[in-house]
Amino acid sequence: MSERPGWDAAPPDVDLRGVWTAVAAQVWRRKPGPFERLAGRLLRSPGLARALVTTPSLLLGWIIATVVVLGAGAAVTSKTGVPLVALLAPALAAAGIAYSYGPGIDPAWELTWSMAVSDRMMLLARALAVFGLNAALGLAASAVSLLAGSGAAAAVTFGWLIPMTAICGLALAAATLARSANVGVAAGLAGWAITVVAAGGSSGRFTALTDSAFVLPYLAIAACCAAVVVYATRIPRGTS
Amino acid sequence: MNVEIAGLTRRFGRNQAVAGVDLEAGHGVFGLLGPNGAGKTSLLRMMATVLPPSSGKMQLLGRDPGSYGPRREIRRRLGYLPQNLGYYPSFTVVEFVEYFALLKEMPAARVPAAVAAAVERADLGDKARAKLRTLSGGMLRRVGIAQAIVNDPELLLLDEPTAGLDPEQRVAFRALLRDLGERATVVVSTHLVEDVGAACTEVALMNAGKIVFRGTPEQLTARGEGHGVGDAPLERGYSAVLTEARS
Repeated sequence: MSERPGWDAAPPDVDLRGVWTAVAAQVWRRKPGPFERLAGRLLRSPGLARALVTTPSLLLGWIIATVVVLGAGAAVTSKTGVPLVALLAPALAAAGIAYSYGPGIDPAWELTWSMAVSDRMMLLARALAVFGLNAALGLAASAVSLLAGSGAAAAVTFGWLIPMTAICGLALAAATLARSANVGVAAGLAGWAITVVAAGGSSGRFTALTDSAFVLPYLAIAACCAAVVVYATRIPRGTS
Repeated sequence: MNVEIAGLTRRFGRNQAVAGVDLEAGHGVFGLLGPNGAGKTSLLRMMATVLPPSSGKMQLLGRDPGSYGPRREIRRRLGYLPQNLGYYPSFTVVEFVEYFALLKEMPAARVPAAVAAAVERADLGDKARAKLRTLSGGMLRRVGIAQAIVNDPELLLLDEPTAGLDPEQRVAFRALLRDLGERATVVVSTHLVEDVGAACTEVALMNAGKIVFRGTPEQLTARGEGHGVGDAPLERGYSAVLTEARS
């Protein structure tokens, strides 16, 4: 659309446009941050790495909010013995997963759908990164609670990782099917709330949440949800 | 032929947005005209591989977009500007264009020069480092055009590309379209009949999901002779064909 003034006046053997573009490319070049460089190496795709660092639920504000909530949970847990970290971590992770990718969350979602980097790969990379970060933050919060010497916390520490997997799977499946992050968050939170209330009501102890008898059902739910996500993001077969 | 479509349909529930379109297009600028709801955007979205067809055959750049491998190859060579371009407010112009160059799997070493060339061609050199949230609607449209052409696409699909551009920019944009059409297939969906007359080598007019006219802008103009509705000759042709299709 543009022709810079003076280009026509250049000698015919001088490609001013080419020179200017080369200069502009150097001046405007963006240097990826360390996390993006590392992700690029691990994923073997600079595009996927860039997509990862634009994940809404991996932005600094979201991470800070998660740290604050889990930190408060750890403080309450260590003082009262109520396993708040174990109750909060799955809900926070489910919200993060639902808000990792999709219409309304990614402003340029339709455009990213027309790209060579597969949207399924993008969803997978983002969901795994969000899950990993939330698991790490939850473990750190649990470790803090343990150091403070709460027996109740110790009973459920690390046990919430399996329920968290199921709840995250539920949130992701609902968000993918409904193409709405809010529906995903609602499904994840509702699923977790029902589980917590049912466990608290039946036994009076939240430790029932992480009873070894529930491990297989939790994993089965997570596997079913993963299958739903795979199906919902399948490659539409052509008609030719 | 870069685009080969036969009997393509797309349904949304009971509504048939595209009702059996046949289309072939080689190099050049192909204009897609039609009233609101004619099916232009649905057809363009199917060609952009973001919307699967309900039935029919489609080959893009000699490949079947229904299979993963060929579709990925098509997408590497495709440029697409959707009607509603979402943008990341905190990105700069260069960051946005670079993001989509990377998602198109351009070789990383080629990306900076390709981004600089696309930004310059879209006349955004002065705003290269401006945050997208600070740009006007017309400038954002040009950012969308820059990301669409960054990979020097063989198939370029533009949905209402001149929306928000001022008259001077529209004239420059038509020149860019003609230039791109020499090496690629450019399909432009637009309401603006004058864009078609100035830039397109061929035009199709859609109504109710079907192509009701296909020919050159001159042939469309000729269809309007003696027809009273419309200020410009091409508009009279557009109006005459639509009236005939609806009757």
